[in-house]
Amino acid sequence: MSGTSNLLNWILWMPIIGVLGILFIPRTKEGAIRVWSLINTVITLVLSLVLYAKFDTTVPGMQQAFSVKIPWISQFNINYYLGVDGISLPMIVLTSLLLAICILSSWTIKKQVKAYFALLLFLQSTVYGVFMALDFFLFYVYWEVMLIPMFFLIGVWGGENREYAAVKFFLYTFFGSILMLVGMVALYFVSGQTESSFDILALSGGHFTKEVVEIFGMAIPFAKLFFVALFIGFAIKVPVFPFHTWLPHAHVQAPTAISVILAGVLLKMGTYGFLRIAFPIFPEASVYFSDAIAWLGLINVIYGAFCAMAQTDVKKLVAYSSVSHMGFVMLGLAAMTVQGMNGAVLQMFNHGTSTAMMFLLIGILYERSHHRWIVRPDGSKGFGGLYTQLPVYSIIFIIAMFASMGLPGLSGFISEALIFLGIYERFTTITVIGVVGLLIGAAYLLWMFKRMFFGEVVEECKSYTDMNAREVFYMIPLCVAVIFFGIFPSPILNVMKASVGKLVSLLAQY
Amino acid sequence: MALTYLANIGRYVPELIMCFTMVGLIMIEAAYSDKEKGSSKGYLFGFAYMGLFFSLVYLVQGLSKDPVTLFTGSVVIDSFSTLAKIVMVLGTAFVIYLSRQSKDIYEDMKSEFVIIAVGVLVGGMLLSSANNMLILYIGIETLSILSYVLASLKKNDTRSSEAGLKYVLYGGVSAGIMLFGISHIFGMTGTIQFTEIMQILPTLDAQKMAILLPSFLLFFVGIGYKISCVPFHMWTPDVYEGSPLPVTTFFAIVPKVAGIAVLTRVTMVFFGGEPTALQMTWVGTLSVVAALTMTVGNVSAIGQRSVKRMLAYSSISHAGVMIAAATVLKQTGATSILFYLITYMFMTIVAFFIVSIVQDKYGNDHFERFNGLMNKYPVMAICMAIVMFSLAGLPPLSGFVAKFNILAAILKEKYYVLAVILGLNSVVSLYYYLKIVRLMVFKPAESDEKIEGFGFVNQTFIAALCVPVVVLGVFWEKIILIADGAKIFIK
Repeated sequence: MSGTSNLLNWILWMPIIGVLGILFIPRTKEGAIRVWSLINTVITLVLSLVLYAKFDTTVPGMQQAFSVKIPWISQFNINYYLGVDGISLPMIVLTSLLLAICILSSWTIKKQVKAYFALLLFLQSTVYGVFMALDFFLFYVYWEVMLIPMFFLIGVWGGENREYAAVKFFLYTFFGSILMLVGMVALYFVSGQTESSFDILALSGGHFTKEVVEIFGMAIPFAKLFFVALFIGFAIKVPVFPFHTWLPHAHVQAPTAISVILAGVLLKMGTYGFLRIAFPIFPEASVYFSDAIAWLGLINVIYGAFCAMAQTDVKKLVAYSSVSHMGFVMLGLAAMTVQGMNGAVLQMFNHGTSTAMMFLLIGILYERSHHRWIVRPDGSKGFGGLYTQLPVYSIIFIIAMFASMGLPGLSGFISEALIFLGIYERFTTITVIGVVGLLIGAAYLLWMFKRMFFGEVVEECKSYTDMNAREVFYMIPLCVAVIFFGIFPSPILNVMKASVGKLVSLLAQY
Repeated sequence: MALTYLANIGRYVPELIMCFTMVGLIMIEAAYSDKEKGSSKGYLFGFAYMGLFFSLVYLVQGLSKDPVTLFTGSVVIDSFSTLAKIVMVLGTAFVIYLSRQSKDIYEDMKSEFVIIAVGVLVGGMLLSSANNMLILYIGIETLSILSYVLASLKKNDTRSSEAGLKYVLYGGVSAGIMLFGISHIFGMTGTIQFTEIMQILPTLDAQKMAILLPSFLLFFVGIGYKISCVPFHMWTPDVYEGSPLPVTTFFAIVPKVAGIAVLTRVTMVFFGGEPTALQMTWVGTLSVVAALTMTVGNVSAIGQRSVKRMLAYSSISHAGVMIAAATVLKQTGATSILFYLITYMFMTIVAFFIVSIVQDKYGNDHFERFNGLMNKYPVMAICMAIVMFSLAGLPPLSGFVAKFNILAAILKEKYYVLAVILGLNSVVSLYYYLKIVRLMVFKPAESDEKIEGFGFVNQTFIAALCVPVVVLGVFWEKIILIADGAKIFIK
């Protein structure tokens, strides 16, 4: 008990220790900064694995052994309150894994190394904060603070159009969070019949079904109104159509490691928000809106896939494929069945690993070619015949692509299968159309692969070198993850089963 | 009676100290000015700081004391006004420091600036304690007349003169309108004492209320002008831009704090009780004014080229946020306003300080002057970024906490629409605050020239002022407790 009670604190604050350490390393000692950051993230990863090992998979909901609660602002009954359950644990482990890999992949960063790694570690800490916070206020603080390092990381180290992308990302998500803030504070006061608080666990359970809000003389049910406020806040992060327009810009302009974190972790914060806050607190409204959520999810799947198909920039293609894949997660959430929700959480994890692979691979290619055109604007081929030139790269690319496509035996398949199993009964039409999305997904990925890897070797591709040891090294854990969890997903499924079951049974009452 | 009077006047010492300081400053200036120009400045600044310091000590001591009324009930010293005065005194002290550094005020005008600033401060202190229509009017006029002089402090600069003139004209008209409203209120109620008006208001019949209603709106014009809320904001950008930078900083703090404080007091005293038609009109007016002020201020700030002008418009929108909290009519509103004022003062000072030094270097304060500041002066750029994020309301900075408190106060009263407008305005404001951060961090510097103003002392000073902006964002419990204890005394 005593050994584990501070584990969450350690994981949350470890990256901050890393940041402080970096501040003391002179700017010119770039090697030391990299190694220090790597050591720091590896320690965090080990701590996360310890958390995973000590996690009791039979307990639904929050695990007492890990929870931390310290009073913060007594006037508003705000606490520094951390906890972990089966939904947040996979996200924490995913974050730790991806961050360690991101540090390795950022070895080639030359510009302002010190600031880059400090911001990266700072970002890591804020992401943990979101996944651990059990106080809505604390959650909100972390949710917002995360924007600051992200803004700089995209804006300073990004591509040509980085400023526009960074500002758009910042404003867009800030807009969503502000609505969330209003909803959050309103919730605080409505919860005041017993005791006003921001405690997510105390708020959840569907206490607010009878509350009514009067706006310009119209009586509107509180739960529905503020579910929508929270929905927009989270949906922008996911991103759910039509709030997705920031994502392609941010992805394309961001440096590789940031794209990885963005797609691998940050998008999941949105769906995590649904699971942790919107659904448990407003179960009735969630059920009421589940049709709409399912349709929006479907639009994401199909629209994202079609957009991806039209891209000539390979990074943009993968960015739109993320929109499509997150649509599957939304479908799973809308199902509100055990399989659907399990599938959604599993897909959150699996998409994190597979899309991270894709972005890392594109980053590796970009370092060699300095462009990402499948077809250049003038109509000539950007890449061609890579398969014969870069064999190791191609093999890993194939694994990543198939995992992302959802080929049986690789991780994407299981989660998508679970999602479709989960939604079939409630939304048969949507399921049928949704499966078409899988098909389109296969089509654009294979087309891309054909155009880039087969055919005549484009002249400049001949000078590219294959992946070096460092690059292969950081791809290995991800390859293992997508293959291993494709065959044997129960290490993740077991962890989340109980917690997801608890949420589903709450939703089933409405 | 006489004894209690003597005992109570002890609470009026901070104002008296400032009055004596002003007189002392004038005497120092008179004694030295004929000799070599500027030889008096060391004494002058020293004396001003001494006065401000003693006044501050008295104020802090008085914070925990019971509220009293003075001068037959026309002035009230309570913890609300005391806290507002502390903010004003601190703000004045910082601005005087800034004025000494700034090149925007001519060397031979610096002593005038200090003297007049102290005078404005006295007016502000009186205004925040006003418990009677006449004192309110005197407070506003003391504040205003000296401000007119400040605005045109750069005598041979046409824009500064224009600013002064504009300020005088607008100020004169609005003061006249307010006086008309006040006399009308006096005509209807037969008294100018706040507390007596408060008792009469609920007893009025519908007809009398209908007559009184416009007079309250006229009365609001004067206050609205002072805090530059829409539609009385037109003067602000021009005056702010035309005035020398330390003066602009001063205008953004002291008159604003005083205006917001008196607005809160008037609102709470007159309309804090049972809902009447008058109260609903007043609150309704305030809500609309708040929403408009926030929006107009923010939207206008987007298109500005000069940072000073941008900050001027942004200060309009911040006033709007505070007016929104004034609609609450309860202690929670007053508390959130006080917290906002405290954080707002620190943020404004840091922002204006950095702008001032940059402007002194380049001769103007266009946005491009901030390009690449991150590479040249990282500490300053980080401070500026912190302040910009804080002004926009990002956690974990104090600006966020301030906005959160106001949102909480509004939402507790279930003013959902106002809360959403407030929130959306934060998003708009982020756009232009972000612009500065963007230029500082993402753009390369125009030149490698040094900026002399960013010496070690000034950098330390600015960084130190930045500390509360960060610390109050995380550890705000104590301050909110103090602000919560600062009740408005009604007697």
